[in-house]
Parts: sequence; C-alpha cells; structure tokens
Amino acid sequence: MVIDVHVHPAFYGPICDDKNRLLKRKQVMGYDLMSPFPLELVEKQMAFANIDKLVLLPEDTETIDGEIVISNEEIKKLIDLDSQRFIGFASVDPNKKDAAAILQYALKDLNLKGLALYPSKQHVYPNDPALFPLYEICLEHNVPVTFDAGLSWQPNTLLKYAHPYLFEEVAVRYPQLRMNISHFGFPWIVETAAIILKHPNVYADTAGVYMDCPEQFFSDIFQKMMGSLWIEHNIADKILFGSNNPRFRPARIKRGLESLPLSKITMDKLLGGNAANFLGLEG
Amino acid sequence: MVEFTKLQKYSTKEFELIKITDDVREIVANSKIKNGLVFVILSHTTAGIMINESLPCLERDIEDTLEDLIPLHKDYAHSHFLPSYGAIGGNAPGHLKSMLVGNHCVVPIVDGKMVMGMAQDIYFAEFDGVQLRTIYVEIIGE
Repeated sequence: MVIDVHVHPAFYGPICDDKNRLLKRKQVMGYDLMSPFPLELVEKQMAFANIDKLVLLPEDTETIDGEIVISNEEIKKLIDLDSQRFIGFASVDPNKKDAAAILQYALKDLNLKGLALYPSKQHVYPNDPALFPLYEICLEHNVPVTFDAGLSWQPNTLLKYAHPYLFEEVAVRYPQLRMNISHFGFPWIVETAAIILKHPNVYADTAGVYMDCPEQFFSDIFQKMMGSLWIEHNIADKILFGSNNPRFRPARIKRGLESLPLSKITMDKLLGGNAANFLGLEG
Repeated sequence: MVEFTKLQKYSTKEFELIKITDDVREIVANSKIKNGLVFVILSHTTAGIMINESLPCLERDIEDTLEDLIPLHKDYAHSHFLPSYGAIGGNAPGHLKSMLVGNHCVVPIVDGKMVMGMAQDIYFAEFDGVQLRTIYVEIIGE
C-alpha cells in the first residue's frame, strides 16, 4: 500500500464553494496561481501514481490569521465523500483557550485520525507546556501528530519555532506518542536524521522539494547531505512518503523518491509500510 | 457570426495524445454557422493542439521524438520555487513540448461539415498530466 501522509486539500472542489474564503486560504497558505479542481481529478492522479491513500491536513491559525483556512469539518466532509482514499487529520490553533476541547471534538465526534500542528505558522514552540494537553489527548485516542517542521513556504512563518531539536523534548516526555517531523526538517536534514534515529516514536516525511527537481533534491539530501547508506541501514523504518501537495504533485515526489538507490524492501517501507505504523493502521 | 464553446478533457497520464476530432465535429454539426472556420485553441501552456494521423505507431514516434528532444530529466532553470504559484516549477518539459506542438489548429467548414484530409485527426496533446484541461472551440463564419 502506498500512502501520501502530507496533503493540504486547499483546492479540493467540495470545500471551495466560497470564493472569498478560497481567496483568504490562498493568501494565508501562500498559494497564488492555483485553482480548485474536482475530486475526480484527485482519483485520476492517484491512479496514475499508484497511490492508495492520502492523509488530508487541515490548518487552524485562526488567532493569527483571523480565520481557519481549512477546518476540521471540511476535512470530515471530504472523508465522508471518499473514506477509502482519504484519511483525515485534525488541526487546532494552540493559542486558543479552548484548543483541547476543539481537539477532543475533532477526534471523538468527527473521528479524525491525527493532529496537524504548524509551530512556525502558529508561532508556538512545540515543547511549550501549553501544548502538552494536546499531546495527551492524542495519546488518549492513540493518534499521531504531524508537525510542520523546518522551512515553510507559507508567509508569516518563523524557522525558530520549527527546528527538529525542539521536537525531541516532546518525544522524550511522551515516548508512546507517534510524531512526524515533516519536510524532513529542511534545512536541518542531518539533525532530523539524528532525532528519528534515536527516538523510536519519531518519524520524518519527505513532503516537498525546496530546490531543483525531486530527483536532484532527494539525491542531494538523502545521498550527499546524509551518508549514502543511512536510510538503507539505519532509518529505513522512520521515513514517510509525503508530497506537500498542492505545491508538488504526489506522482513527481514519488518518482523522485523511487529514483534513490534503495532496496525494494526499504522503498516499500518509505512509500507506505512506515506510514501504516505511524498512522496506527496495523496492529 | 461567431460561436464559442468550451471543451473539458481529463488526461490520465503525464504524456497522452487524446483525439478530439469527434468532439469538434459534433460542435460544428450543432452550430448555426454553415460556412467558415473552426479554431481549436488550448488554454494551457504545458499541452498542445495538433493535427496528425491517428496511428499507434505514429503516436509512439511523436512521444519518443519529443522525449528525445526534451528529456524528462535535465537541469531546467524552471525547476525552482516560484512565489507566483507557491510551488516548484516541475513541468519545464511540458512547457517546451508545448512550444514545439503549438496551442491551436484551424479547419475549414463547408456546408456545415469540417473539411479535413482523410489522414487528419485533431489531437489534444497532454505533456504535463494528469490534469483537467480546457479547450476553446470558436467558429467564425456565416
């Protein structure tokens, strides 16, 4: 099974009816010349790329941006339209006083399957004790957390909140909490490798390309910035395929990953086996 | 008189040649214009419109030749972050293939029918799929 763990469904047709809301979403998330498309196109793109499931991420930065740009309810709406292909996460702005209640509702009543946090966008440190209740709710529901880590293309984001080392304290405090350092913590590639090497509960996804094309970028970060055998021999169980769609098409990110000189066993883990463990789909 | 119609087509592969002759013929047949020209114009920059012969061997040659001229993997300057999109430009080959093929074709209409050579078909040529594409069909005449 192939699972893309990092998709922002900002332009999925069924949640794009309100033009003013769509414009705000584009401004907040840093998407400009992109347009909505029907779910039928998503199906065709998944079929072409041989991708079985997508993890859809909402985004709540309401205290900073004045609006939830992709809400938990919108994710729930998409899941209800295609529960075979889509897995939905929740998002909550930790700066809200009722953040814990919002998360409880999203996981219990909307039946969402994980939490997406955006420290650099929400201007919070992931190891801030104010966030601990959110992690404890995730543990209560046995769902993972995806942290937007490293460099974000979104406007009004600060790298100081998203260094991979900031997630280590959370990993140690909550060793049963499955965590994903997204974007492989770019530009802190080696630092991210260290964290996922050391902590059994921490994963990192491949969402996005920061320079060049996927083949060039993944070769540079996974074969040159990292030792050429680090993945194959050390962290094969800890890397998740993520595309960061709509910035990048899943087919192209997948093709870039598949160009790496890895064994089939390891590639299968990266493309879906590890995601199944991270998401708790098995066992 | 001028009539304007939009066609929409899904591509299902990154490179795909999709015949649209019958779609255009139907639009012409339903038009009030009986003599004139039909323009088939693509609204995108990483695909094309062309007329060629509909043979599987030729379709393969067209794909192979375009791929030889414009390979998928090359150090394209377009492959960098584009703030105007919020994305990396990952489709330079599509832009370049589109440049070679062109974005439109023109066919005469006589007595309500398209006049085409027996070997001619109209293709929508996808170079950056999978996408939902829009094609304009404009008929000018009387």
